[in-house]
Amino acid sequence: MRGNKKEQFMKTIDEHKKIIYKIVNSYCQNKENRKDLEQEIIIQLWNSFDNYNSDYKYSTWMYRIALNVAISFYRKEKKWSIKKDVYNEESIFTIEKDMVEEQTELNYHLKLLQEFIHNLNELNKALMLLYLEEKSYAEISEILGITKTNVATKINRIKLKLKKEFQNI
Amino acid sequence: MEARELKKILAAYDTKLNETLSLNVASFKRINLDKSEKSTQRILTYRIIEIIVFSLLSLCMGNYIATNWSQTHLALSGIIVGIFTLIALAGSIGQVTLLQQIDYTKPIVTIRKNIELVNAHGLLFVKLMFLSTPIWWSYIVVASDLLFNIDVYAKMDVDFVLKYLMVNSLLIIPLVWFLNKLTYKNLHIKWVRKTLGLFIGSKTMKALAFLNAIEEFEN
Repeated sequence: MRGNKKEQFMKTIDEHKKIIYKIVNSYCQNKENRKDLEQEIIIQLWNSFDNYNSDYKYSTWMYRIALNVAISFYRKEKKWSIKKDVYNEESIFTIEKDMVEEQTELNYHLKLLQEFIHNLNELNKALMLLYLEEKSYAEISEILGITKTNVATKINRIKLKLKKEFQNI
Repeated sequence: MEARELKKILAAYDTKLNETLSLNVASFKRINLDKSEKSTQRILTYRIIEIIVFSLLSLCMGNYIATNWSQTHLALSGIIVGIFTLIALAGSIGQVTLLQQIDYTKPIVTIRKNIELVNAHGLLFVKLMFLSTPIWWSYIVVASDLLFNIDVYAKMDVDFVLKYLMVNSLLIIPLVWFLNKLTYKNLHIKWVRKTLGLFIGSKTMKALAFLNAIEEFEN
């Protein structure tokens, strides 16, 4: 029974792995710390797996947990972290080397965008990620816990900021 | 570059990730999921210890007041110390309630606020310390009576007691105003920032600054 649950959990994580990967990359620049954050997110997702509320989309539930964990991690709140001895040394993601090392225009733009995101504060970072993921205002509002009007206002501000930041490209 | 162009870049990135990103099953299986504990467990234990300590102190003060009811100065000092103990106890109970509400599946702003309120718990003790300044003699009266069986009040000069009461009663209103100012909402005021910086640790200060950022984000 427990084995089945773990298999099901792994399958769900596999289906949504991009969410975790992108959040980890946005909140953590250090490669070593990234492994810890990935695993901490997985553990929190596992701890909440039984309480998944099907009223929400799975991705909404996952974004909430992953972003909450990432923000705590980013703020180096050790007391909110899981015990270190449950981590392992290896990343839970494998990415083909050419994607990391390629000197493409795409990678250049992504790097600029990541730098832009890194400079935002914890909450705006979350908003920016959700906006770039093309989440609806309603979903962003559900994930963040602010009103739809507030989401719209903040997104407009972000658009202006993005335009200003990337005007010379 | 317009936002829509950025989104195009991200769509290309998404496609690329679909092709190149995979789950490292071996590594995933090595994560000891069953050994993990709820992240709030440790901090909850500390707060429960606080509740036990403050409850015992409250009971002790209750007993002290009842025993010394006939001696007004001792009973009054006991009541003052007892009230402060009860405030601290209420603060710790509030913390446990906040901790019980921390659930990472809830909206981010709500959870962050609860977490930072727990992190900023130290501020309560700083406020209690300031609030104790006009009545600090109560602590001395109670402590010397309980620990050394000495009634300090009986040895005090009446003139000193009167002057003490007068000066300290004058302190109450400015003190209440001062304590009301000491919140994260007033971090933009330089003296508030400096005062808090002086009395609370950097972690509590960081929590207060983030509470302020959350409030700005909500509005």
